[in-house]
Amino acid sequence: MSGTQQPQPAGTEATGAEAAAELAEIQRRHQQVIKTALVPVWYWWAYAVAIVAYGVGRDIRGSAVKATVITLAVLAMVVLSAVMIPEVRRRVKVRLDPQPQARLTAAVIGLIILVTLVTVFTAVALVAARVPYPVTIACAAGGAVLVIAGPLVNRYLHKLMLAQARQQMGGAPQAAGTP
Amino acid sequence: MSTARFDELIHAPTRLAIVSLLAAAQWADFKYIRDELGLSDSALSKQLSTLESAGYVQIRKSFVGKYPRTSASLSPAGRQAFEQHVAALQQIVARSQQNGDARSAAEAARGILGR
Repeated sequence: MSGTQQPQPAGTEATGAEAAAELAEIQRRHQQVIKTALVPVWYWWAYAVAIVAYGVGRDIRGSAVKATVITLAVLAMVVLSAVMIPEVRRRVKVRLDPQPQARLTAAVIGLIILVTLVTVFTAVALVAARVPYPVTIACAAGGAVLVIAGPLVNRYLHKLMLAQARQQMGGAPQAAGTP
Repeated sequence: MSTARFDELIHAPTRLAIVSLLAAAQWADFKYIRDELGLSDSALSKQLSTLESAGYVQIRKSFVGKYPRTSASLSPAGRQAFEQHVAALQQIVARSQQNGDARSAAEAARGILGR
């Protein structure tokens, strides 16, 4: 370990422009961490495709093809859930206070419930109406909800994390170029 | 709001980037910090050692399977120093804006009087 380098007292302070640039850099780095912690947009699309594939598998005829499609779809969902999310969390863990953390959890659980309800109710209604391929259509509806609501949840989480980062900085004004 | 205290150790550009990154995180993986900041392994190690010596950063080493994994987090002292440094920067910006406003007002007044 190298020699101890203790912080020096104020004396060689930055100028106003340097301080503003330094604050902008801090906000940029906070944004960088927040961006890493959010799942990418393609994730919602991939998951939606897996849900639709599952629906197709349920409606398809022929037991061997049916079993293969359903197995692959479920496998894709398991991989997306069990590998992708821990992979994001393996790199960095965003610091969140208990209140935003609770909101974050509620938003994710709310999304799961919404997608499940839309899929199940659509399937039940279509089966009752004797519409062909009810599970495929219901899963497509659920997938569409996921593709629309997933990025909205992402945006909400981004806003939540950014608000906390600003709060940690004593309500610092937004840096130029930051959303 | 923290007491303002300009910190020369955090003020250095690379260390500012590291501390800013860690301030938004509970912890961050060594490789993540290295890649996000575009540093070499040795450059990041050196800066982390400096911050660790000052008591600002805690380094955690563990194993995931066979592979060693290093992660870093800000210590409570580091977080406090960062918040104080941010407060100092905000004071400098505010002071500079006040001076700028006063200078502009004085120039405007001189312009009006000079007519």
